[in-house]
Amino acid sequence: MMSRSKMLVISTGAMMCFALGYSAQATAGGNPAQGQKKSATCVACHGENGLGTAPEFPVLAGQYASYLEHALTQYKNGTRKNAIMAGFAVGLSEQDIKDLAAYYAAMTSQLGTPKP
Amino acid sequence: MRRQLLSITKKFGCLAGMLVFSAAFAGGDVGSGRVKAEACLGCHGIAGYRNAYPSYRVPKVGGQSETYLIAALNAYRSGDRDHPTMRAQGATLSDQDIADIAAYLASYAAGKE
Repeated sequence: MMSRSKMLVISTGAMMCFALGYSAQATAGGNPAQGQKKSATCVACHGENGLGTAPEFPVLAGQYASYLEHALTQYKNGTRKNAIMAGFAVGLSEQDIKDLAAYYAAMTSQLGTPKP
Repeated sequence: MRRQLLSITKKFGCLAGMLVFSAAFAGGDVGSGRVKAEACLGCHGIAGYRNAYPSYRVPKVGGQSETYLIAALNAYRSGDRDHPTMRAQGATLSDQDIADIAAYLASYAAGKE
């Protein structure tokens, strides 16, 4: 029979492990504040608000972070071909891409999911 | 005089540009687009739906810029964008289909559905 205090130690330990694991995951992702600092070149086309300064530039505000990461990675490695984006993306690190994606994903916009 | 001429040329050029621009987008029909977008919504109509290998969320396309949507669909169709499903879908679409689908998706606004 396990004592009450022993059970408490085990459950607290489990909770701490979970919390540590969770925070490690959060830091492995993007940091929106860092993303904002790195977005200086993006704003010329995508705007301060991420809505795009002209119709040819997509709305980034409110888009899924994981999709933005995917798109930037594809521009970087050339799988997605766009002369303008290739030039910018080539200089981005994996962390830069995550930070930028987190920054734009956190903005609000009219982007949404139409119902079938 | 030269300045005036330049100003007129500029104005006229701008007007011509606008005419070309509006002509290019006269084609997109929201109603037809809604019908044609049925296949799109199998993935893009489910909030948070994930693409597998690599894993990422299928992008929100409702409320996206119409011009950008047309460019993106054209890029899938031509192969400038690499995605098996989107390439296959793009291959079946005419210019008119793309214009209609883009018009419909762009007309969507979150919170107003």
